[in-house]
Amino acid sequence: MRADVNTRLLVLLGLLPSLALGQVQPAVPPPAAPPPQPAAAPKAAPPPPAASSPSGQTTPAPQAKPPTTGPAPTAAEAPKGPAEKAGQPLFDEALQDYFADHKETAARKLYAFIEGSPPTDENHPWAQYFLARCFIDLGLRHAGAVYLARVARERSNPQVLPRTLEALRTLILVPHDEVLIDEQVFGSLDLGFLPDSVSDYANYEQGLVDLRVGNERWANTHFTKLEEGSVEASRAKFALLVTRLRKLEGKDVPDDMIEDFLALSNDEKLTQEARNEARLAVARLRYERKDFEGALKAYDMVQLPSLDPGRATLYLEEAWTRYNLGQLRAAMGLLTTLDAPSFREEFLPDKYILRALVYRDLCHYLPAKRAAKELTRRYAESLESIRERDDLTLDTRLRAAASSHGSTKRAARFRDSLGRENELKSRYAGGFGDRLFSQTTKIYELAIAEAERVYRQRLQEAVREEADKLLRAAEQVRLMEYEVGLKLYERIKRGAKLVQPEKQTPLAEGQEAFRFDGEYWNDELRSYRVSIPSRCVDEGAL
Amino acid sequence: MRRLLLLLVCLAPLAARAQEELENPGVVLAVQDRTYRMNSELMLAIGVLPLDAFTKGISGQVSYTFHFSDSFAWQIGRFLYSQNVATGLQNQLTRDFGVNPTAFPQTIWIAGSDVMWTPIYGKFAWLNSSVAHFEIYGLAGVSVANQRVSSDVAAGTTSTQFLPGADLGIGWRFYLTKSVSLRFEVMDNVLFATSGIQNIMVVNIGVAFNFGSTE
Repeated sequence: MRADVNTRLLVLLGLLPSLALGQVQPAVPPPAAPPPQPAAAPKAAPPPPAASSPSGQTTPAPQAKPPTTGPAPTAAEAPKGPAEKAGQPLFDEALQDYFADHKETAARKLYAFIEGSPPTDENHPWAQYFLARCFIDLGLRHAGAVYLARVARERSNPQVLPRTLEALRTLILVPHDEVLIDEQVFGSLDLGFLPDSVSDYANYEQGLVDLRVGNERWANTHFTKLEEGSVEASRAKFALLVTRLRKLEGKDVPDDMIEDFLALSNDEKLTQEARNEARLAVARLRYERKDFEGALKAYDMVQLPSLDPGRATLYLEEAWTRYNLGQLRAAMGLLTTLDAPSFREEFLPDKYILRALVYRDLCHYLPAKRAAKELTRRYAESLESIRERDDLTLDTRLRAAASSHGSTKRAARFRDSLGRENELKSRYAGGFGDRLFSQTTKIYELAIAEAERVYRQRLQEAVREEADKLLRAAEQVRLMEYEVGLKLYERIKRGAKLVQPEKQTPLAEGQEAFRFDGEYWNDELRSYRVSIPSRCVDEGAL
Repeated sequence: MRRLLLLLVCLAPLAARAQEELENPGVVLAVQDRTYRMNSELMLAIGVLPLDAFTKGISGQVSYTFHFSDSFAWQIGRFLYSQNVATGLQNQLTRDFGVNPTAFPQTIWIAGSDVMWTPIYGKFAWLNSSVAHFEIYGLAGVSVANQRVSSDVAAGTTSTQFLPGADLGIGWRFYLTKSVSLRFEVMDNVLFATSGIQNIMVVNIGVAFNFGSTE
């Protein structure tokens, strides 16, 4: 009667996609690229001869290859005919507005310049860069990313490239278009032309792309180019370890792999979150090897910020570990933690099984039965949906569970952020003018449609996994009910005595005890201790 | 029959409790290491002596306390000096009613030593975004006070007297950091004078510095 031990390994393996998509961030976020001062701005370029048609009309500037979120906006798609020819004065005015903090006006003029000048114009990439910065400063990060990605891909002016890549690196710290930035920019850059400041990151990203398609050798060629001791080198080690772990597929985990994860868990160059992931990896691997004491030590190493409720999976895994160590009351304390409002929406079918197991082991059969049945009661609608072969993405609980982690969570966050930016965009209708506003609208419409598609696709797969998890738990509940039913009506032999109550651990010097009355305090979540007597009879007492 | 019903009514809560115990067995405690622990404490405080109708004392106090445990400490020494400010009542009595107070003691300083008992250590949520800790403690000890007595107000003659006494107090400590806390306390010094018992109340607010606290 052990609920799904191997799910831990699956959870650990689930790290890989998140790594691949840049979820493990550097310890110190790269600094935002400061906008160059006007003095550093590009020199005036001669009027673009190629831009004018013989008739004197300006030819719309050819645009870069569009991102996968849809075709890139071009001047030809602008609402009111071809753009007017733009010259150096317009660019200078736009820069003045930009540095005077008139971002909306600057954006309008920069867009007019981009439309009215050829891509061969020396200032064309600068205009795109500054337009992107205007968008970012105005809160329209995705629109900014689109233009930065174009500058990065076109690379028509080497001076703009470092600033562009730095700006893109700051954007990956928030929900972003992973295909546009991670894959199409950093994943496909020609590394020979990159400045040192971003070459490590690009090598890391390209190594991840190789890892994701299963080519560890190619990934290693990228990772070996990373500067030893750099943030990216640590992250690459983590990614490689997770990939190797994935390849083990149930075989025994070698000691050195655990040691490597342990070393990463103390690597200050990784973020606290990434170090915690490494600690969790150590704990899970030790658990799989039935080294429960070692696993517990690794769980204890997980550091949470002050008053941070932490993650439900952490508590549940620790509870399982303590249960396996026979620390039933400590396990029950952690299950109390999981009832906190912070975790009320968490999808944790295992929680009910474990509580039932603890009660059963302490011979509290009615509570055991009740705890087990709580699962089927709580998830009745979801179980019904599964049985009826309904569309599981419509089930609220399963959808929430699927969207709460991994790539589906990232897709949901990006989709939501696009929605917010799209609403924000309408504030700038006046300042942007018709042409830029129409262009921005088009960018967001395409991006939202694509983000929705990606989210739906990932959701479909994720809800299926959650449904499997729920079905396995429901099966455990039936077994538990049967087992408890047998115990409940078992005859007690005459003369049998209750087992000796476990001695209460007294409070140590410097400890305080606050009686729990149903009110959860975040600072107490890891401190609950349950005092519950055993009702088992000692057959040996006869 | 009526007695039986009465008995059933009396037993109902017990039965309900037994049922609750059966369904939700166990007691849950949040056991935590104390965030703040005191060791050697130096306090600087300001306060008032509010009870005397003729003068109000503005006081400054310094004290040193050694904490033997989280709940028991010895305030080894405290010294309070009071700067007295006339309320105008004496002038009013002389001017409007032609009477003078006969013996007119003003407290100059008080020194003493106390035991401190801290039965309450708690925490509260500050704006639902942080947790702050506090203690409530009691003080009991002995005091000696120095007073200036205006034996003849009209002639302007004064004398000094030392009075022994006992004191009782209650205080509230609010922790700012592991080393610094704020103390607010009210103490009553019961002084045994030949003319009878005097109550000198002191209201203090002070900053306490903690040295050598254990984690």
